Amino acid sequence: MIRREAVEIVAKTLKDDVAVSANGYMSRDLYEAYDRPLNFYMIGSMGLASSIGLGIALKNPQRRVCVFDGDGNILMNLGSLVTIGSLQPKNLIHVVFDNGIHESTGGQPTNSTRVRIDSLAKAAGYKVFRAGSKVKLESTLNKIKNVSGPILVLVQIEKSKYVSKRIDVEPPLIKTRLMNKINSQK
Amino acid sequence: MSESGIENFVGVPDSTLKHFVDQGLKKKVVLIATREEEAIGIATGMSLSKSPSLVFMQNAGFANSLSTITSLVELYEIPLLFLIGWRGYLKNDAPEHTKIGKIQPEIIKSLGIESKILSDASWKKECDWAMKKIRKGQFCALIIRRDFLD
Repeated sequence: MIRREAVEIVAKTLKDDVAVSANGYMSRDLYEAYDRPLNFYMIGSMGLASSIGLGIALKNPQRRVCVFDGDGNILMNLGSLVTIGSLQPKNLIHVVFDNGIHESTGGQPTNSTRVRIDSLAKAAGYKVFRAGSKVKLESTLNKIKNVSGPILVLVQIEKSKYVSKRIDVEPPLIKTRLMNKINSQK
Repeated sequence: MSESGIENFVGVPDSTLKHFVDQGLKKKVVLIATREEEAIGIATGMSLSKSPSLVFMQNAGFANSLSTITSLVELYEIPLLFLIGWRGYLKNDAPEHTKIGKIQPEIIKSLGIESKILSDASWKKECDWAMKKIRKGQFCALIIRRDFLD
């Protein structure tokens, strides 16, 4: 399973959930797989997708927030696991697509193969799930429907040469369309 | 600030802002993050939910956050109010604050963030100015000088 496939499987389960995606290929994959106003493509600010997701989750307790994160991204902002773990937002699902490399910058290694991100999340107070195949990912997503968060799903993916198309929505428009949608349905 | 509509105060403590943060903790409106960038991320999520937010930090943390400010707050035009403690304002402040204290005004200017320095005489006016900006969906900064040594 490559990231683009895994992202599509998760994206299909979103319904009215808000999605926040990490910078790099992650956001491009989500954009190509399932573009919608409730997606916030974070194209800059490396590492902060889970923090933005936390802010949205705290202010919209009736809505689920799904963060599309990468191993490289969360390793840049490990403090976020602590903040999320301590606040225990019930509506936050943190999906980490882990390929053990910084794929967007040319495939340099991360240390996620040596230090397990799901163990760190568990220590911080997340409920943790692992999925290494499409079938397992689908069944995990089905299982967590009625589980209250914070949840971390570690999705083990393979390296890939596939590159999704660039996002051609201007950042202020990414913001405005999300704000309109999120706040109209409160 | 709370009375004029700020609902969230997210940041990293700074001794210059001690009384401000303590008051906010008492009122349960403060969320303490592990780093300033994280605080900006959380406050951005809150602002996207139309819940007006302030991010507080020392200027050391402000320097940590430059890329987040340019590639998130400025790029997406996120309405956020920065409250920054100005260490190194006094020439004889601790040595680790000297350089950043000196170049801080230039950095804020280069970033293109509109800012005001709070003063005893007109702090209320400066806060009103900032609130007006936030209501218009803009970002701006208020600076508190560290004019004492400990």
